[in-house]
Amino acid sequence: MSNSTMTASDRPTQTSMAGLSGWLIRHPPLFTLLLIVLVSLVIGAISPQFWQVANIFDMARASVVTGLFGLGFLVVLAAGGIDMSFTAIAALLMYWLTTATASYAPWMPMGVVLAAAAVGGMLLGMCNGLLVHYLKAPALIVTIGTQYVIRSFLLTFIGTELFVNIPMSIEDFGKYEIWRVSTDNGSIAILPAYVLVLVVAGIVTWWILNRTLMGRAIFAIGGNSDIAERLGYDLKKVQVFAFAYSGLLAGVAGMLHVSSNRLANPFDLSGTELGVIAAVVLGGARITGGSGTVAGTLLGVVLVTLVNNVLILAGIPSTWQAFVVGCFIVLAGALFATRERR
Amino acid sequence: MNSQNPSRSVNPKAEADPSAAGPFLELRGIHKRFSGVYALRGIDLTIEAGQIYHLMGENGCGKSTLIKVISGALTPDEGSILIGGREVVLSPIGALSAGVETVYQDLSLLPNLSVAENTALSQQLVESGGHLARRIDRTRLMETAVRALSAVGLPTDARFCATAVEELPIATRQLVAIARAIATDAKLVIMDEPTSALTKREVENLIGVVDQLRAHGVAVLFVSHKLDESKSIGGRFIIMRDGAKVMEGNIADHSKSELGYWMTGKTLDVVRYRHGAHGGEPLLDVEHLGRAGAFSGVSFSLARGEIIGITGLLDSGRNELARALVGVSPADAGVIRLAGQPLTLRRPIDAIEAGIGYVPEDRLSEGLFLEKPVRSNIVAEVLGQLVNRFGKIDVGRSRSLAAKIAAELQIVAANLDNPVQSLSGGNQQRVLIGRGLTINPKLFVLHGPTIGVDVGSKDTIFRIIQKLAGDGMGVILISDDMPELLQNCDRIIVMRKGLIAETFEAETVDEDTLYRSLLLER
Repeated sequence: MSNSTMTASDRPTQTSMAGLSGWLIRHPPLFTLLLIVLVSLVIGAISPQFWQVANIFDMARASVVTGLFGLGFLVVLAAGGIDMSFTAIAALLMYWLTTATASYAPWMPMGVVLAAAAVGGMLLGMCNGLLVHYLKAPALIVTIGTQYVIRSFLLTFIGTELFVNIPMSIEDFGKYEIWRVSTDNGSIAILPAYVLVLVVAGIVTWWILNRTLMGRAIFAIGGNSDIAERLGYDLKKVQVFAFAYSGLLAGVAGMLHVSSNRLANPFDLSGTELGVIAAVVLGGARITGGSGTVAGTLLGVVLVTLVNNVLILAGIPSTWQAFVVGCFIVLAGALFATRERR
Repeated sequence: MNSQNPSRSVNPKAEADPSAAGPFLELRGIHKRFSGVYALRGIDLTIEAGQIYHLMGENGCGKSTLIKVISGALTPDEGSILIGGREVVLSPIGALSAGVETVYQDLSLLPNLSVAENTALSQQLVESGGHLARRIDRTRLMETAVRALSAVGLPTDARFCATAVEELPIATRQLVAIARAIATDAKLVIMDEPTSALTKREVENLIGVVDQLRAHGVAVLFVSHKLDESKSIGGRFIIMRDGAKVMEGNIADHSKSELGYWMTGKTLDVVRYRHGAHGGEPLLDVEHLGRAGAFSGVSFSLARGEIIGITGLLDSGRNELARALVGVSPADAGVIRLAGQPLTLRRPIDAIEAGIGYVPEDRLSEGLFLEKPVRSNIVAEVLGQLVNRFGKIDVGRSRSLAAKIAAELQIVAANLDNPVQSLSGGNQQRVLIGRGLTINPKLFVLHGPTIGVDVGSKDTIFRIIQKLAGDGMGVILISDDMPELLQNCDRIIVMRKGLIAETFEAETVDEDTLYRSLLLER
């Protein structure tokens, strides 16, 4: 239905793609939304605890790091790349900056630490972008390589021990509240202020992708890099930007992870890449690049967080989480693939 | 101004444009070599505003290289490029901002971006000089898009503007590409084989748009193989051979055979290739064949040694019929009998085993393994017969089979181990035909066998087809190139809306009658 009349009349078979599935195929994020609603209704019916403010706040909190990773991954994916190194970048910066701040400058305000994490992540991301561009190698391979290198660097040169004496400024940042609600059973539910970082990152990412030439260049390159180059889009600039942006968000995400957990574990975050990729793909972005939306990605993040956090409420063992996420991914993959096949 | 081009100033249109004091673009002595091999040798060219040019020549003559030089994708080794009388060094973005817009065969559209963005974003990119850290002026984007889209007669409503280009049919995409040229205020639009994927009606529409461009003082440079079309469009021609310009002039002043001669250096037959009567024993019998949503009730029969042409508009079901006959997208109703045996064609392998050879329409995406050697491409369908008892492919036998086919079909390749993408279009097509022949087919289905193939290669391919039929093979030729069908077939089936509309004897029907039959009920 979103096709013009012209297309419709030229492809008579296409209009048969009516009904719910056709509608969902054309608007992938709605599919994600539908799954979120379904899961919420089911879990909510089984366990009334689900709809409690404390649970909602918990999920918001749990979405932040995945959300930041997801936004970064979306930008790289939209530009036709894949980034596997963001968790390693986040782990390196969070551990390094936390331990360094604690030993040399415990008075350092959180704003400066966050900025350092952002800049550090950006620089590492730029390295990814430059490698991908100049080696003309698949981004998947290059970033798996850099992931290993960064992780090994962290564990060899920076440290392997759990670090709990995190500086006050970092710890305090995780405690700022924007909303405190007293619940019926006397406990207190708190929405921490750092969820705003995800909100801001979402808005900025949306603005870059939709309102700047860089954003359109990202989609152009992701759609067909040869054609985009021919039209005058600078492949190098776009690739470096996309990976740098992903690195920047990864750095910030790493620090928020420390802030909210009040400890720095160099082995944390490792292995969460697939969950992030799952979220972005569930949000309707094609794995082959050139598509995806911020809204879809955030919905995907919510869906994955939901499954990871609330199945337990319904009495489903946590080992089933991956099963459910996996089924959703296969379902989404099958649905969105029909969009390509037409 | 330029003494090398005496017949240049005959066009009054150029003088009508007040801004054009001199030619828009001039090339002087352009040389380009690739690892020592000449692609261009001393090309001089003058492009005047508001004039139409046809750049002609066989595959490999240097046309594409020349286009890339003009559009800034390649830098010449020697020679100079002048735009508006000033010498320039062109980059892709530089050429665009100078007003040179190239519409390649793939149309250079970004499939995932919207119609509006494809149309009007280049304007803002060019203005920013390629800098990407800029806000998009969305109001202006839409204004420009609406202006340009309406200039080529496309809808301008918000829904159409927001449609992703990949969802549009090819003819509409082409108009979007032209709209982009208008949006960037192009002075010269280069179109690389723009009509190869279009039906006649769409071609006429395109020609109308080109006329409008010209009326706005835009020069248009066509790169085309279709002499008929070029003649009907009119304007000037430039013929290249072996990297050099061999002739230029007014296209109306020369006959097709003259033009063909300059392109190939040899005289070409423009007569019917098909000689002699058909009517051997029956080979193929198709009864009430159908596929939901594509075609239905298709019945025809074909004798050994007979050539049947099938044509129709894009939505006529001819492509789907071809794919059903070779098991690519199976029919869901009716019967296909080959030499009396009923066939079940559910997958391509069923057709191969039944002895049906197939040359698909799009050799690049459906036919060839582009990066693989010519040899591997030729033997790809008979690998099973080439393995020794350890399951390893016998390279010696593979080589000799490929060499035999290459010799039979006059495939010109420096080395059969070179990637097939290094061959010219005509040779690539012959590789595909050769692959089809390795299975010794009884029936050969050729889908658009000469799309994007130059005149000389066309001649060779037609002769091959005739020889195959002469040896007793049944041939089905699906094409929208009317002269091709008329020259080669015994009978021509015209399809409309999924049905067989009419069948003609190729010897007695003429092109006009065929076209009229094709377009009826539209």
